[in-house]
Parts: sequence; structure tokens; C-alpha cells
Amino acid sequence: MAKEVTKNEYVPFLSEIKEVIKHTDIEYTFRMTYEGDVKPGQFFEVSIPKYGEAPISVSGIKDGLIDLTIRRVGKVTNEVFEHYEGDKLFLRGPYGNGFDVEEYKDKELVVVAGGTGVSPVRGVIQYFADHDNQRKDMTIITGFKSDKDILFKKDFEYWRQKMNVILTLDAGIETKDHKIGLVTQYIPDLKLADVEKAVAIVVGPPAMMRFSVKALLERGFKEENIWISQERKMCCGIGKCGHCRIGDKYVCLDGPVFNYTQGKNLVD
Amino acid sequence: MDVNTKKLKKNAFRVTKERGLAASRVRVPGGRMDAKYLKDIQDIANEFGNGTVHLTIRQGFEIPGIPYEKMPEVNKRLQPIIEGLGINQEDPDTGYSSSGTRNIMACVGNTICPYACYDTTEFARKMEKTIFPNDLHVKVAFTGCHNDCCKVRMHDFGIIGMSMPEFDPNRCISCGACVKRCSRKSVGALEMVNYRPVRNEEKCLGCGECVLACPNMAWTRSTKKLYKLTLLGRTGKKNPRLGVDWIKWVDEESILKIVANVYAFAKEYIDPTAPGGKEHIGYIVDRTGVPEFLKYILKDVELNPEAEVTSPLYWSGIKYGSTEP
Amino acid sequence: MGYKLNEREFNQLLGELSEKYLIYAPKVFVGKGRFSDTDCIRYDKVKNVEDMELSLKSQYSFKEVLNPVSETLFYFTEDSVKEADMPRNKGAIIFLRSCDLHAVERMDEMYLNNGPKDYYYKRLRDNIHFVLIGCSKAFDSCFCVDMGTNKSDNYDIGLNVREDGYELDVKWDEAKDILGKMAKENSLKEEDVTVDFVKETTTRVSIPKNLSYDVSKSKIWEEYAGRCINCGRCNFVCPTCTCFTMQDVYYDANGKVGERRRVWASCMVDGYTDVAGGGSYRKNNGERMRFKTLHKALDYRNRTGYNMCVGCGRCDDICPEYISFSNILNKLDTAMKEVSANG
Repeated sequence: MAKEVTKNEYVPFLSEIKEVIKHTDIEYTFRMTYEGDVKPGQFFEVSIPKYGEAPISVSGIKDGLIDLTIRRVGKVTNEVFEHYEGDKLFLRGPYGNGFDVEEYKDKELVVVAGGTGVSPVRGVIQYFADHDNQRKDMTIITGFKSDKDILFKKDFEYWRQKMNVILTLDAGIETKDHKIGLVTQYIPDLKLADVEKAVAIVVGPPAMMRFSVKALLERGFKEENIWISQERKMCCGIGKCGHCRIGDKYVCLDGPVFNYTQGKNLVD
Repeated sequence: MDVNTKKLKKNAFRVTKERGLAASRVRVPGGRMDAKYLKDIQDIANEFGNGTVHLTIRQGFEIPGIPYEKMPEVNKRLQPIIEGLGINQEDPDTGYSSSGTRNIMACVGNTICPYACYDTTEFARKMEKTIFPNDLHVKVAFTGCHNDCCKVRMHDFGIIGMSMPEFDPNRCISCGACVKRCSRKSVGALEMVNYRPVRNEEKCLGCGECVLACPNMAWTRSTKKLYKLTLLGRTGKKNPRLGVDWIKWVDEESILKIVANVYAFAKEYIDPTAPGGKEHIGYIVDRTGVPEFLKYILKDVELNPEAEVTSPLYWSGIKYGSTEP
Repeated sequence: MGYKLNEREFNQLLGELSEKYLIYAPKVFVGKGRFSDTDCIRYDKVKNVEDMELSLKSQYSFKEVLNPVSETLFYFTEDSVKEADMPRNKGAIIFLRSCDLHAVERMDEMYLNNGPKDYYYKRLRDNIHFVLIGCSKAFDSCFCVDMGTNKSDNYDIGLNVREDGYELDVKWDEAKDILGKMAKENSLKEEDVTVDFVKETTTRVSIPKNLSYDVSKSKIWEEYAGRCINCGRCNFVCPTCTCFTMQDVYYDANGKVGERRRVWASCMVDGYTDVAGGGSYRKNNGERMRFKTLHKALDYRNRTGYNMCVGCGRCDDICPEYISFSNILNKLDTAMKEVSANG
């Protein structure tokens, strides 16, 4: 019998930055080279020089390229980002289960996403924008803090042509492009042909997810038709380091996407 | 009544304000003793004294109300205590042989206290063996750590326990507990660099807080015992002041030699006309100057390699009745 | 196969084994305890039986042999990665007690079964042999019997330390060969040996069968919000705690050459759950205590069918605040009753 070889999951590979797309002052999408299977909602561990490793969810997938939307939350300035264009970063992954588009096909679909929570679900939105024959009616409700914090602005133009889009901001002045208020306030008025069969995806900060799921359940959604994606400190990505564990689930192995019937039992 | 007060004072009795009655001063070097001696003290107080005992500030018992004629009997009854506490005595059954050099004090030390860096009583007993019986006025005290619960800075020689921290990076889990503790409770000698603490050796007091805080034994104490020696603190009516840091990271052998050397200095320079023939060591140094004093006390002392000597030394404090600027 | 050896003979066996193996055992580190003039018993490489502390419980477990406190994974430059060498160039023999041998099973589960195999653990885990130190009686804080970890059979050598020598039950061929050779040369006594194991402990623990996440709502956790100082000692001494954090360390100022290492982490210590952007979960020490307790007594069991805690009691022994983990486990029954009564 051949000697069993254990793959060293910790050693990263190099990936080239093909393009840097600036959304806000602190949120850029890095379009990177990657050949291999990957699903929206999965994540990569990205090594950023002088910053360490960080779990970044895949925000787009296309022809040997993946999008990684990175939020800068430190001292590092925009110049550092500029510097990286054409450079290389170390990656390892993809990790986690990701969203399975099969679960949502031929159904009415509602996506509720807040802030950077739009990143992991962008692939799903994009897929059903491109393949609108594979689903029934689709609504996305996305919330951002302010005008300056809106991610994927260009995508919204395309999505508006393909589905119902509600873009809402925490504060500011209402325009034709966006409303003012919380994502949860649009859930009761969702127009659905058959709420019992409709599916929903919720991604965002913990409080936003909690209240959105509550509103969806009140609207008549079934627990098993709601999917959530959890953000935790995924450090190793392979179920070892323990940081992302919630109860008996490892977000990096069993998630980050959970059906709500499982997700509701997770106590931090 | 005819009593030689000079002699009885040297024999550790006090001339009290009540005519005819002395007080027996029972000193306990290092402040710790077997509890059984309390019974002896109780018996002496009941049989010879007025039934009370004063707990002295220098870790002794003062038994008042003893008629002068009973002193020899009291001395006999003190013998088990003197032997049990390892007091240097000239002749058995004659009580304490001297009283000028004061009882050597110690905080509870590391047999009890988690902060103490050494067994203070044990070191105090070694010092007792080295400098007693000696009747010159010298005060020595031992404290386990920089908290200085024993107030050693009010002594001629203050010994403060130190722990030389040793860091094993392979056991560090980067929790930062040591850095936080050092800055909250001590001098802030630690900072995190590349996930691990770096010690500012100049700032470090050797208080041992980092070792206490470390959850994984990355910080431990050196096995070699090292101390800080402070000099010439005093109380009194002329110029009370706190002792100053003299040698940091000095070892036990050096300390014992240095303190023993002070008597040759005092004998040489003491003012023969001083009241009662006693002059506080610090005031002698005020006359001779510090260099002469240091020359005497460092005689034949070979300091350990870790020792860091502060020079020159400056004291402050209050100067009563001084006409000097 | 059993033998009775005197000290010289036992050292001869260790000497011959050490040609191919490093030997790790509990050792007294004199003066290296937390307080001055106190000792620490923890694992280290040893040469002979005099170096070992076989009568007392080690404060820290064997786990650092298989899972170093700090382990360099690889070195990197701007565009290359070089895997760090194996920290050990030989196989290893570990002296441990039954509770710890059961803890090895937990470590294996975490590193070899929970998700893909861990490369760095695997390479340190390969070529390991275990010497089971028999326990003739339990230490005060032990509760192995109640956790079902008091007995082990999967050892290479079983060892009873007796006043007049060392009784060995040998299952390992390499050791058998050496002892066989020694038997021919000397008058080595061959006899039946059964490794001692503890049958009762003074500390008793009972984990309720109906334990569920509802217990999170209990008030028992509030007490620990005030008492626990989140130092993490309980995690670091625990033979079943395996969490770690990655660290990138740069050797130069421009951050282009460096190493990535992993370092033990603790779910009790600040920073464990920090996510990018400043968020964190379980800020309260009571919540952390609940999280740790339920991992040991519920979460792990849900995934594997058996409890994680092996009842070694080290967490009880080390806690500077005198928080007893076995006592927390024993409170779970009341806590479950409390939450079910509150609906």
C-alpha cells in the first residue's frame, strides 16, 4: 500500500491581482487569478503583507478569476492598495460549504444583505441575474450605512434590470436609487406568490441577521427555506484552530452557510 | 535603688517612666517564630510583669512592669526563646547580649506571600548570625518585593527581593497578560513586539509580576537569588529621609559582607561625645561623606557580575532646624 | 509480556530506546513555578528515570510534545514559501497517565478527523509510542472514573512504579527485543504485570444526560463573569484544548521576509473571537466559561459520541481564582432543571 500523503493545507499559493476595484475608501475588490472549483459564499485565507492572514469570502467567480472584496479596517491607507495592483498575494482555499444555487432554483428568492454581507452573496445574485430563467421572482434587499459605503455600485445597475432591488441606507436623503431605513422594514411588504415555498438568504452583521430572520418568519417563510451565512474568525479554515466554532458547528467546515433549522441553535 | 542603666539597656531592658520598673524587649529576628514561645512570653508577663505585652514596631514583644531585681530571673526565662530563635548570645541565661543594632525585620516573605521573591526570615536570620551581638546603632530590614511592606527604605540597609525574569519565547502564547500587568501594577517595562513581550532592562524592577501573570510559564524567575540594596534611610529629629537605591541585582553574599563592614566604619568615625555613646550611622556618614563610607562597606566585597551600582547617591528628606540652605 | 526491572535495568532499556527515540516525561523544573521558590512539573526531554517525576501529576500536560506551544509552519519571502523543518528528527516515547492517553484520542480526533488532516500534527504524531504510567490511586482533583478514562489498553509499555523497582507490561516489539536480550544477559525477572488503574476518585462528576444548549440561559454562568479573570490557564493545562492562532512575523521593516507560525490560543482570553472590523463574541467571562464547559461536555460529544473532558483535573489545580471545573460540571443538572422550570 502506498504511503499515505497528507496535504499541507497551510502552505498558500501565489495569485496575481488582475484588477483592483474601489467601492469605498476602505472597501476594494481584488480580482485574482484562480483555477479550480469554487462556490459563492466560500472563502479564501488571504495573506496580506504586514497584515497577516484573513478569511475573505468570494464575491465573484468568472473564467479563472475570483473576486475577493476586502474591507480595510486598520491604519493601512489607500496607497497600499494602489501598490498591489499587478502584484501577487498568497492565498489558500477555497474553504467552507458556500451557497448551493441548486437549493434556490425554480423558486421565489429573497436575498437580505447588509454591508460587507453583500460580498458572499453577490455570486448568487449574479448567477440568478444571468440565469433568470432558472428562478421565479427575485427580490434583493441590501442595506448600507451611507451613500459612501455602497458596494458593487455598477452591479446594482445590472441587477435592477433583472430583479426587484431595494437599496436602503441607515441615514441620508432618499433618492430614486435608494431608500432610507433598515432592511427589515421592507420584509413585511414583500410580494410573494407562495411564501410557503419561497426561499430566503440572509447575510450581514449579527443583529441585522437576527431581526431579518424574525421578520421573514413573521412574513410566513418556513425555517427550512431560510439560509444564513455566518462571519466568524476563521483562522485555519480547516476545522482545527477552534476560533470559528459555535456550539457543535465549525463555521469553516460546516458553514459559513447554514440552513436556519441548524443555524438557529447556534449560541455564541 | 542602685541600677546600672547603661548595662541594662545593652541587655535589652528599657528604663521606663515608672520608677523601679523595667520592660523586657524580646526581639524576633525576621519576625517569625514557633507559636510555642508565645506561652513563654505570656508566662513572663504574668509572673514578672503587669500582665500586658506590647507588640513592638520592630517585630518584638515588650513586656512592661518588670521590677529591676527580677531581671536576672527574666533573663533565665528568656533562654528558650533566645535559643529557639537562634540569637547570638555571649553567655547562656544572661538574656540578650546587645540592643544597639536593632532587631532585623522582615515581611512575611515567600513562605506565605505570593509576591515575595525570597524567604525574608531566613535571610534575616543569616544577617542576625553575621552582625550580632553588636551594640552600634544600625537598622537592617528585609522585604520580599518592591511593595516594601517592611518599609526597608526607612532603614540603614534595606534589602528588597527581586526576581530576574527569564523569558522562553517557545512558551509564549501572546496573550499580553504580562504587558498589561506590568503597566497596571508596576513600571511598564514590557511592550509587545512581533506578538511577544520585550523587556526594558533598565526600567525593570524585578518585581516578578510578569511571572505571576504569565499563564503558560513563558516567564519564570532566575534560579540565582538577587536583591536590591537601599542605603541610609532614617527617621528622627534631624533629617528623616527614605533610603535610596544603591545596588540593583546584588547577591546574598555581597549583602552580608557589606552590612558586616559597617561596624568598622562606625567604630572609626563615631562621635565619642555623642549622647549615650550612640550615634545613628547616617549622621556619621553626614560628617565623613559618602565616598569614605562606601570605601569601608565595600571592603573585600567582590560584587556579583549582575550587580548594577548607582553612583553618585543623593538623598532628600526633611531637614529640621538646619541653618544650611 | 511482563518484567520487573530495577532502576539500572530500566535506565538500560531507556538508554537503548533513546538511540531511536526521544523520551518525554513529566519533569520537575526546580524554582520555575509561578511563585518564588516553587517548582513546576511539566514535560521535557529526559534521559533516564531520575529525570522523571512519576509520582506527582504534571501541571501542564503532554500535549506540547505533539502540539508545540509555538510552531513555525513556514518561512516566506515576497513570492516563495519554504516549509519549516520537522522540529524533531526522531520518533518519540511519551510517558503519560490513562487520562492523558485518552486525551491523545481527542487530539487525534481534532487534528486528524475534524476536516482534513493537519499536516504539522500528523508529522509529529507519527512514530510516537506511549508508556502508560499506572495510577495506584487518584489525586484529589481527578475524576477520570466518572469520565470513563481511568483505564487504557492502547499503550506500548505499561508501567507500575514500585518501591523496589519498575513493573512493565510490554506490548511493543522493539522494547520486547531489548528486554529479551537483557533477560539473556542478566537475571531479569519475567512476571505477569497488570497496569494499575484508579477505581474510585474523591472528586465525583455527573453530567446530565439531557444536557442541551438551553443550559446557556441558566443563571449559573453569571457567577463566573465576576470570578473568572480570563487568564486561560485552564485551557493551557488542558490535554484536550487544541486551539491555536496564526501569527505572521516579519523579519524586516518592509514586511517582505518572515515566518508564519501557529501559537496556542484560549477561548477564555481576550481576542479569541475578534473579527475584522473590531467585532467580537462572548465579551463576558461567564459566557466564555459556558462556551468552554459546553465544548468539553456537549459540543464535542455531539460530533463524536463521547465527552471531550478526560477528568484529569488540571484546570482545577491551576486556577488562581479557585474555580473548580468539576464543580461547574456538577452544577449542570441543577442548571438544566432551572431552565426547564423557566420554560
